[in-house]
This record gives sequence, structure tokens and C-alpha cells, in this order.
Amino acid sequence: MKDAYFASMTNRKKVLKIANFILLCIGSLLFLSPLWWMISTSLKTMKEVMSFPPTFFPTDWKWENYLKTWEAAPFDLYTINTLTITILVVIGQVIVNSFVAYGFAKIPFKGRNVLFAIVLSTMMIPGFVTLIPQYVLFSKLGWVNTYLPLVVPAFFGGAFNIFLLRQFYMTIPNEMIEAAKMEGASHFYIWRKIGIPLTKPAMATVAIFSFNGAWNDFLGPLLYVNNENLYTLQLGLQVFKGEMNTQWNYLMAGSLFVLLPVVILFFFFQKYFIQGINLQSGGKS
Amino acid sequence: MKKRKLHFKRQEGLVGYIFILPWIIGFLIFTAGPLLFSLGASFTNYNITSQMDFIGIRNYEKLLMDDQLFWTSLYNTLYYVAFSVPLTTIGAIFLSVLLNQDVPGLRFFRTIYYLPAVLSGVGVYLLWMQLLDPGTGLINMMLGWVGIDGPNWLFDPEWTKPSLILMKLWSVGGGMLLYLASLQGVPKSLYEAAEIDGASTWQQFRYITIPMITPVIFFDVVTSLIGGFQIFQEAYVMTNGGGGPVNSLLFYNYYMWNKAFKVFDMGYAMAMSWVLFLIVFVLTMINLKLAPRWVHYEGEAKK
Amino acid sequence: MFKKGMLFSLIAVMLLLSGCAGFQVGSDKGAALEAGAEGKVVVDFWSFWGSEIRRPVIEKIIEDFNNSQDEIVVKHTFVPWGDIWTKELASIAAGDPPDVVINDIKATALRGQKKQAMNLSQFLEKDDISERFYPELWEATLYEGDSYGVPFNTDTRILYYNKEAFKEVGLDPEKPPTTWAELEEYAAKLDKKNGDTYDRLGFYPLFGINYDVWMLNAAGQNVVDNKGNVEVDTDINRQTLDWLLGWKERYGDNVINSYKSQIDSQQSNPFFTGKLAMFVNTPTFNTQIRDYAPELDFGVAMLPESEPGNGHTSWGGGFVAEIPEGSSHPKEAWEFIKYLTDQDAQEYWAVKNYDNVANIKAAEATAKNAEMSEKDRIVYQMAVENMPNTLLTPTPLQAPDFPTLINPEIDNVMLGKKTPTKALQDAQAAVERLVKENQ
Repeated sequence: MKDAYFASMTNRKKVLKIANFILLCIGSLLFLSPLWWMISTSLKTMKEVMSFPPTFFPTDWKWENYLKTWEAAPFDLYTINTLTITILVVIGQVIVNSFVAYGFAKIPFKGRNVLFAIVLSTMMIPGFVTLIPQYVLFSKLGWVNTYLPLVVPAFFGGAFNIFLLRQFYMTIPNEMIEAAKMEGASHFYIWRKIGIPLTKPAMATVAIFSFNGAWNDFLGPLLYVNNENLYTLQLGLQVFKGEMNTQWNYLMAGSLFVLLPVVILFFFFQKYFIQGINLQSGGKS
Repeated sequence: MKKRKLHFKRQEGLVGYIFILPWIIGFLIFTAGPLLFSLGASFTNYNITSQMDFIGIRNYEKLLMDDQLFWTSLYNTLYYVAFSVPLTTIGAIFLSVLLNQDVPGLRFFRTIYYLPAVLSGVGVYLLWMQLLDPGTGLINMMLGWVGIDGPNWLFDPEWTKPSLILMKLWSVGGGMLLYLASLQGVPKSLYEAAEIDGASTWQQFRYITIPMITPVIFFDVVTSLIGGFQIFQEAYVMTNGGGGPVNSLLFYNYYMWNKAFKVFDMGYAMAMSWVLFLIVFVLTMINLKLAPRWVHYEGEAKK
Repeated sequence: MFKKGMLFSLIAVMLLLSGCAGFQVGSDKGAALEAGAEGKVVVDFWSFWGSEIRRPVIEKIIEDFNNSQDEIVVKHTFVPWGDIWTKELASIAAGDPPDVVINDIKATALRGQKKQAMNLSQFLEKDDISERFYPELWEATLYEGDSYGVPFNTDTRILYYNKEAFKEVGLDPEKPPTTWAELEEYAAKLDKKNGDTYDRLGFYPLFGINYDVWMLNAAGQNVVDNKGNVEVDTDINRQTLDWLLGWKERYGDNVINSYKSQIDSQQSNPFFTGKLAMFVNTPTFNTQIRDYAPELDFGVAMLPESEPGNGHTSWGGGFVAEIPEGSSHPKEAWEFIKYLTDQDAQEYWAVKNYDNVANIKAAEATAKNAEMSEKDRIVYQMAVENMPNTLLTPTPLQAPDFPTLINPEIDNVMLGKKTPTKALQDAQAAVERLVKENQ
């Protein structure tokens, strides 16, 4: 009797698993179709791109588009520039925000709620209206035409990531912190030895988000960098867009290239999202 | 004894400030100044380059009493937020649950669903203009396969905002990532126990998964709400710098951008931004107040 | 935890590779010196011409200028299209702008009024170059009689038509339509219907351009002029809207939207493949036909007139070279601008880029330039001939954002939600209110 019950359950599970798989496959097609459009455009001649009605597959596969794209601007230099900015931003965002978020989540202090409301508030003012005063500020500091305005603020925390990490810290049982404190651990120690290991998936999320943000940032480099040798990939891609027409095939090839590192990073970071941590069993990792 | 505890508390408070010190410094140096400036300038006729005279609350007055487009843009934005926030939240949860199962090719699936969230910029929006083409576009083609006569999407003022919401749904991968991270914290033992009690899959989802990820749902709702109010670039690109049919895509930030950088009425734009701030702030505070009713923090003592 | 060692060594390598240049405060001056500018004045020049076609041309002009004298060195920086002006504005606000920026001619007067662009009359007093340019363009740079920018290039709208299709339906390929009535008549002949859809569409007036061009074409004047007169609710505009509605009813939403989204997405164009027989666009559209549909046999004509004798009024725009307020070397900037808009540089630009230029002599010479193909010359000649018909729509200072008020009203007309009469009345009232507010 009992055996039959479990057998039927595993059957049910199997059905669900197959249904899930099929669902994911169909969804993938939907999600990938715009991407396919990019890929196929990147391999067409401009003549074919502009043809009507549009073709689904390139009739003539122009792999050399990728080479031409690469040569249209100093993209190797731009890659290094972008990577420099991005890595520094990611380091700043991940470490500093984790630190700050722990403070907001696990240490009681006076005015915490008010300060946290201010943290959230900084997200609510549209960037356009602070753009000019902020530019003037960085200009007064003598930071225009350097990466400093892009990188330094990352080391002073960002509202979105602080909030995100705070939510994850909130799920750590207070008893755990209390117990550590009883044993004489400082908050700094607890943050490093308990906080960080238990919020690894969240930190990986922050790392991915801030990587994306810095890697794809357009407005920041546009405003603060004047010297073309310091340009980033997103600025470089703009050479394919003119006031009249756009070189779609090169633009798409370039966009796909810019996308690649993000995909690789995501692939690599996925291990943090696969059943890693289990709070109840004490956070083995 | 009591004194020592108090002393300890004060000391702990100090540690708390040390932890948030980086943010405080950054806020004071980089953010506070520009914010205060924009607040101050919202009471002037500031035009960035040549004038900044105090005009009292005239900008606010004009905005609320005398500017039809302000209300149009606010309506459009609220419409967008009201639909896109719940839809993307539900979509992201659903997707993350599907992608947290043991399925062959899991890594690939996750990457595929995450990809659109990374794709950004003008190219993507123009791509969507093609996909949404009522005649030869992929979307209506697929709707045609299942016998639906697709709408005129970006040409029909009734469908322009749904078009953008659809586009937003496509990039639901960012939210999915959040929920995936959150799901890692749900102990497997809870599901095993429920299984033995004979709970159905739906019951497990409803009574175990959902409560366990409420802190992140809360985060997602609050930040998507804030972000939703800031919608700008997609509308800007997809309308060629206009407001879309019958101004149906004239969003709040879009209108503000026009005022600030096209007409150079920056004082007015700054007043607009503080009105928006007030709206979003109130909504966020309501969210924060309601949170204890449904957000479940493992860390808190159960009352 | 993190692979610290790996990460840090990676960063170290990165920083070495980028030479820490991105973190050197004040590296701007150093870069200028590197350019061999020692002892010379460096003029910082921003443009959005970064494409593989545009860039070499502008840089050759700059090189020639730099070699033509030994006091000034122009340093060119490509800044992305559209966003270049946000950046410029920020730099003006911070008091450290570049010395020359290419900007949209439509709002030059507005930028003059706001003191973003420098008043050029101090230079014009000494050398008056205003005669070089089409008067309509020069006019657009004036605010209270003073110029705030020097016209560089321009455009206009002309009618492209498919000669092959004309022959097929028995129309004379050398006689394009000259009036609105002929346009309709020809379009009806050129239509090739296939069930619910069309194998070929004769013409639709709102592909490539908007209703405002047709209003301009019929009325011969702007709906809001630079004195703040509002001419929205007029009989002519009503007739124009009726005419546009007639077209819409003829083809129906489905057909129109399908074509329009192709054109708007800037990716494919039904004119290339003969699916659209007549199309209004800029003269530079010719280069797209040349590159993407070289076999297409087409002709060009002026925009048809609403009634015989009413005039082939067309619409144009363009770009100017401006000196931002706060530039540190305005005198040297002026020298460069003078060079940039003189006949030689303009003709070089026009021929190499196939672009319409603001300098009249250069434009006329380009139309005869043997370096270009015959077809290119024919279209260019049409553009030059069309310039006297071409009106600009400068942003009126009293109602800079009036289109946001008119556009939705016209949209409502086209969607059948409002009558032209009612819509024009409402638009007139709204724009008049805006003008009153700004006075």
C-alpha cells in the first residue's frame, strides 16, 4: 500500500518534470527569437538587412562582418578600458554593499529606519535632474576625463544593492548572530565568517548585476570621458549609428560581442545558484 | 549589570554606524549636494546656463493646475507601473521556480532566460519595433498560428503601453536571478516533510516556497515600482523622439527630459522630479508599512 | 571565497595595460601636447561623425586646416549622436566646454537666447561670411538679429519614384506628379492589389515624413512662426488633413501600419524592392538606394504642390557649428569654423559624404562634380534646385515644445477619433496658451 503510494508519487513527479522541460523548451524559443534576429542580422550584408520582407536566415553568411566590426574602431582598447572600470566597480559594489547591508540588517542603532528610508529615497529621484549638478561637482573635483566618477562612487555603496543584500541578511536567524556574540565575536567577525558565506547567492547576484550595469553603462562614460582613448565598448558601438542610417549588421555583431562576457560570467557564477546553502544545516559551503 | 548592557548597546550602535559609514560618506559627498541643488532649483526658473531666479512655487503650481501633459504623462506612467510590476514579479517567480528544478540542460535554460535582461540599448528597441510589426512581425505571426488576429501594437494608442509591457516581460531574467538566489535559502527538508504529509506541488509552492521568498518579493516589488516610474529610454527610441500615437507613450520621465534638455526649462523639470519623488516615496512607505503583514523574515522572532 | 589572488593580478594587468590613463587627473592637457600642439592653441572640436564614411572626411578637413597655418591645432573628438548635446550642456554648465560643437540648426536661436551658444556678431563684424549660405539657413541661426551658429550641412525633402513601375502601368517615367491631384491619380494607377494586401502600393503621404510637412507644403509657412503667431486652425490645414484622411481610408490601417513599421524600424524599406512606387525622403536617401538596391531605376522630383501654382514648398533641417558659451579659445574656434564652412571644405565634404551642404557655391559645384556618378549628380542637382523651396521649422522661442501639443490632436484625427475641425481648434487653443505662458 505504502509502496504504491510512493510509486504513484514518483510517477507524478516524472510527469511534472517532463511537463516542466517541455514548457522551458517552448519558452526558450520565445526568448531566443529576438536574439536570433540579432545573430542573423549580424551575418547579413546591409543590402539584405534592408530587404523587404526581412529574411529569417541570411542568404549569404557574412562571417567577415565580425572582423570588420572589430576593425571599425579600436575595440581592443575599449575592451580593456571597459573591463578595468567594470572589475573595479564590481569589487566595490560587492564588498562595500555587503558590509553596509549587514549594518542595516543586523545591528540595531539609533535612526536606522530613517537612514534606510533615505537609502531608498536616493533611488527615487530621476537621474536627469541630478545629472548637471553632479557633473559640475565632479568637474570641480577635477575628475572629468578620468574614470574616477565612474569607479569611486561604487566604493561608497549603492541603494539598490544595499537593499538587496539587506533582504538576504534579514533571513539569517538572529539567534545565530546572538550565539556568535556570546562567544565574543565582533560584528566584523560575524559579517565575515557567517554573513558572507550565508549570502553568497545574493552576493553573486550583486556581482552579476553590477557587472552588467558597469559593462553596459553608456551615460556615465559618455559624460565623464572626453579622450577617445579612454572610451568604453558602449561608446565605441555608437560609431555604427549615424544621424541618417545605422549599420545594423555591424551594430548587431558588436552588440553580440559585448554580450559574450556577460554570458560567460553568468555561466560561471551559476554554481552559486544551485542548491548551495542550507540555513538549517548551519551553512556548510 | 543594567548599566553595562546599556553601554554595550551604545557601543553596538557605534559599530552600526561604522558599518554604514561608507554609504553615509558617499551620500554626503556625491548625492546629497546634487539632490539639494535640484530641490532648491525647483523653486527657480533655472535654465542651466543663463538664469536662476527664485519664483516661489510657480513651477509646482503650473504643473498641478495648468499642465495637461503632466497628467497625461502621469497617467501613462501609472498605467505602465500598475501592469508591469505585478506581471514581471509573477513572471519572474514562476520562471525561477521552473528553473530551480532538476531538469536536463538547466544551465543553458537559465542562461537563455537571463540573456534578454542583459541586452539593452537602442538596437534592442528597434528590434522590437520589427517584432511588433502588425503585418510581418514575428509576434503577430505567432499569434496567427494559434488563430489570434494580433493588434496593431505600436500604432494603436490602446496597445502601445501593452507593447512596452510585453517587452519588459521579455527581460524578466533579472528578477528571475533574484528569486533563484533566494530559493537557495529554502531548506530542502521543508519540502521533504511536506511530501510525507501528502502536500500537493501547488500546496508546497503556496505554503513553503512563497513565504520563504517574501523578503525578495518585497525587494522586487519595491525596486520595480521605483524603476517602473522611471521608464524612459524604450519609449524615447520607439517613438522617434515623439510621444507615440496620441501621446500614449509620453511617460513621466520622458516629458521631464523634454522639459530639461529640449526646452531647457530645468527648474520645471526639477519640480516635476520632486513631485514624482513624493508619489513614489508615499507608495514605498505604504509598502514598507504593509510589509510586516506578509513579509516573512526567518531572522525575526515569531510573534 | 573569492579567488583573490587571481582577481587582483588580473586587475594589476588591466591597470598596467590601460596605463592608468583613466585615473590621471588632468590628463587632458597632456593629451593635447602629445598631439604635437606645443606652443599652439588647441581647439577642442566635438562632432557625432564617427562612422567609417563620415570620420575620414572630417578628419581630412581638420588635417588640412591644421597644416594650413601654424597657430591653431584642432583636436577632433567623436561623441555619439544625440547624446553629444547632453554632454555639451553639462560641460557648459561646468564652465569647461569644448570650443566648437556641431549642433542642430532647429534650436540654434533657442540656444542663443539661453546663452549656451556664443554670439558670433563680434566675429561677423570683421568677416561677414553670411553670404556664403542659403538665406533660409542663415535666418535660422539668428536670435534678435545676431547669429549664434554657422550653417554646415542641410537637407530637404524630395519625391522618389520608381520608373520601372511607371512604365509598367503606362505612365511616362519622365513625368512625375506635380500636384496633389496627380499624385493621387498616379498612385491609383500604380497600386497593385492582391486580395487584402498589396503587391505594390502607389504612394502614402505619411511614410518617411509627417503631416507637418504636408501642412508646410500647402500653406507655405510654419504653423508657429518666430514671432509667436499660431496658424494651426486654418482652412488650408483642414483641407490638408482631409486629404491625408482620404489616403488613409483608401489603403486601410493594416496595410499602412505594416509598411510604416518597416520604414520606422529603419531596417528595410519597401521602396527598395518596388513594393512602394513613390516615396518622400531626403536627397541622401539616394545613397541607401545606391547601396541596398543598386538595380532600382528611379527618378526624383520636387514635392507636388497642393494646387497648381501654389508652390512646391518642402521642408528641411541641418546642422551648424557653434562655439559654446565659455569656450576658452573662441577666436581660434572662429577661424576653424570659417575654414569648415568655406567652399573647399564644404565641397570636399559634400562629394565624399554625398551630403547637402550649406555653402551655396559648394553645393552648386558638387552637383557638377565629375567624381560622382551621373545618377548621384541628378539627385544632387534636384536637391540644389529644391533649396529655394525649402523651409526650415526653427523651434519658436515662445512655444519651443508645441509639437507635443499638436501631435496628439492630429493622431486623433488620423485614428478617426476627432474631426479635423475640432482637432485643429483644440490644438490652436493649446498652442496659443503655451505662447501666452512663455511671454
